[in-house]
Amino acid sequence: MAGRLLLVCRLMVRDLRRRRTETVLLLLAISAATGTLTLGLALNNALAQPYERTRAATAGPDVVAMPGATGPEALAALAPLATAPGVTAHSGPYPMAYLMLTASGTTVPAVVQGRDNSPAALDRPAVTAGTWVHPGGIVIEPTFANALSVHIGDTVDINGHPLRVVGTAVTAARAVYPRADWRIDAGSPLTESAGLVWVDSSQIGALAGTRPLSYTLNLRYADPRASTSFTHKREGGIEYTSWTGIADADGKLVKQARLALLVGSWLLTALAVASVANIVAGRVVDQRRRVGLLKAVGAGPAMIAAVHLAEYLVIGLAAAGTGLTAGWLAAPALTSPGAGLLGSTGTHPPALRTVLAATVLALAIAAAATLAPVLRAVTTDTVHALADAATPPRRRGWRVWLSRRMPTALLIGVRINARRPRRARLVMVNTLITTTGLAALLMGLAQDPRVKLGESKLANPQSTRTLEAMFLVIVVLCVLALINAIVSTWTAVLDARHPLAVARTLGATPAQVTAGMAVAQLLPAIPGVALGVPAGIGLYLVASPGDQQYAPASWMFAVALAVLLAVAALTAIPALAATRRPVADALQSTST
Amino acid sequence: MTGSALLKARGVSRRYGWGSALVRAVDEIDLEVPAGQTLAIMGPSGCGKSTLLHLLGGLQRPTDGEIWLAEHRIDTMSERALARLRRHHIGFVFQSFHLMDELTAVENVELAALLAGQSPRRARQRALHLLDRVGLADRARHLPSALSGGQRQRVAIARALSNEPLVVLADEPTGNLDSAATLEVLRLFEELRTAGQTLVVVTHDARIAAVADRVISMRDGSFADDSRLTGTTTSGTGTVYGGWR
Repeated sequence: MAGRLLLVCRLMVRDLRRRRTETVLLLLAISAATGTLTLGLALNNALAQPYERTRAATAGPDVVAMPGATGPEALAALAPLATAPGVTAHSGPYPMAYLMLTASGTTVPAVVQGRDNSPAALDRPAVTAGTWVHPGGIVIEPTFANALSVHIGDTVDINGHPLRVVGTAVTAARAVYPRADWRIDAGSPLTESAGLVWVDSSQIGALAGTRPLSYTLNLRYADPRASTSFTHKREGGIEYTSWTGIADADGKLVKQARLALLVGSWLLTALAVASVANIVAGRVVDQRRRVGLLKAVGAGPAMIAAVHLAEYLVIGLAAAGTGLTAGWLAAPALTSPGAGLLGSTGTHPPALRTVLAATVLALAIAAAATLAPVLRAVTTDTVHALADAATPPRRRGWRVWLSRRMPTALLIGVRINARRPRRARLVMVNTLITTTGLAALLMGLAQDPRVKLGESKLANPQSTRTLEAMFLVIVVLCVLALINAIVSTWTAVLDARHPLAVARTLGATPAQVTAGMAVAQLLPAIPGVALGVPAGIGLYLVASPGDQQYAPASWMFAVALAVLLAVAALTAIPALAATRRPVADALQSTST
Repeated sequence: MTGSALLKARGVSRRYGWGSALVRAVDEIDLEVPAGQTLAIMGPSGCGKSTLLHLLGGLQRPTDGEIWLAEHRIDTMSERALARLRRHHIGFVFQSFHLMDELTAVENVELAALLAGQSPRRARQRALHLLDRVGLADRARHLPSALSGGQRQRVAIARALSNEPLVVLADEPTGNLDSAATLEVLRLFEELRTAGQTLVVVTHDARIAAVADRVISMRDGSFADDSRLTGTTTSGTGTVYGGWR
């Protein structure tokens, strides 16, 4: 048993060392899929963890109460809540005004809250830069400040009153920009996008002018269910918002980005399977010969299967580790909650669930792509396996018949393409997935990345985050697709050496042979691109419900053309290189 | 080029490697093959006879020397021009047949004509005619895998004749065949010779040499002997058109 184990390990190590390039390509392909899955799962945490940390750091309330009434009536309505049964702590009521803020010539709605320096039992906004409020100064929620491009020391204007920006601070008592819920009339249930600012409570009355002041009261309950049983409700003329409601609103910042990463990880997984299948297909002849040699020296089917599966499982496990590490290290950049919340994800080791999911995915990809060829090799006759023969090419009679009427380059292309339908399908899958991803990205880019605030528009952090996630997926997708295309075209050129050499012997020119190879790869790529464009648009529309702008047709046409040109160029380069070799050499090095 | 030589090589060499690893596969060979002659090139393995054939057919370029085919100097031609020359003027027959596995016999034969730009109908008619002449009319729609070695080689010969070439270059055409199949191929070559087709055959097989007009023996990249066995059937105008056309 020990001897067999040693043999399996020895053969595995030698083969991995002998095929370094293939091993690295396999590792890259599977790592890309597991890395993206890790990122997608890490974003799950991004929905909750940063808000919870912010809530803990700022003594965030369980429930925020805000009466529909204003002025003294509001104060009277809130007074009994502070001493209601089950309430263990409260802060406020704090005065609020829904005003217009002007910064750098842009006027936008702002929720203005009056605060002072007195200690509060609940909701103690954490200053992230500068100082806390004092008369003449204004503190801005950081995401809002970023969108306005204002910095500490700048001057902003509220209702004609200039105020100096003295700091930025975060709170768990109100959602971050642009979900601070501005109202045209205090007590109105209709809300608009806005950001939150704090001013000295002694000044808020003057800033509001003739507009009545609203009030907000922060509450903590002894029973956690009192705040988790609802997100938003209105009772007795008072509007209650629970911390879960605020967390949900904050989570929307990364919700679309998370979806983009999860969908992206599915696409990448499919592409990784295609990639692995591609690489494995390229070494199938050699693998078959190796199986023949093992059989010839007395290895049984179990031993042969063990030798091959061990190799791919080792690659799968290494790829799981690489993908997990890469995804975990990349997570903070993408899943950072932004300036509006405290903390970030990815700073702790990945959860066991994530490790398991990535490992299972990596092993499944490795097993799915390699099991069939290994089993086929195991069941092949020893003599045939030792003969080192590739699977005979397929005959597609109707394509041969059709191509007789075509120009030489097309004739060669159609016939080369017809020889290996499985490889053609891989090319189609590769271009389909790549084009789907690119078309979805174009849809994302076609949307207005700004949010409407009153009569102005400002950057929407949610759109920015979603586009960042989509860009990340597309970059990884394109890298993987490029690897696939290179592997696919090289194996196709190698496989077609014999027919191309014969064609050259019969008088086909190097240009015709090169164009023929490009046609052979383009034929399956065209349906891939044609299906990929609507698939990408559909995917985006399904993942982003609501009114969405369609990307201009010229963009889609350009991306389709770019994908096809890339396929043609990637094929033409190795094909052209192959034609530089004398025909006699090519003929001698190929089988009959 | 002067005289009636269809194929001519002057001082042709093909060397590989450098210094002590230098190999002279073909070493300063002069050769003239008149139109209609059947030339057999013989010699031990590795003597350079296949390399010489590849050089004559433009499948490889010489290191030195000149090669002419029917007034065209081919050693300086571009790949594109060489391809056109092979397409119209040279037919190849290989030891390992080099048929397309996925194409039927008739499709393999017509391939050369299609690459030369002939209409599909004309190419098919010509291919069927040639298969009939090599005795494979009933095997026209068989894949190479369904044919014997001799039948495959006859398909390859039919393909080589598809575009009515000036010269047919055959590289060990019977090397992979049994005795019966070898006799089939010999019969075909004899017919070709009688029809005035210029043939250059590289072979180990003395039976093929026996049907040749001229036999050249090669050793270490050079000609060791040049014997004219029978009179040539040179037409005097370059190409002979016989019953095979």
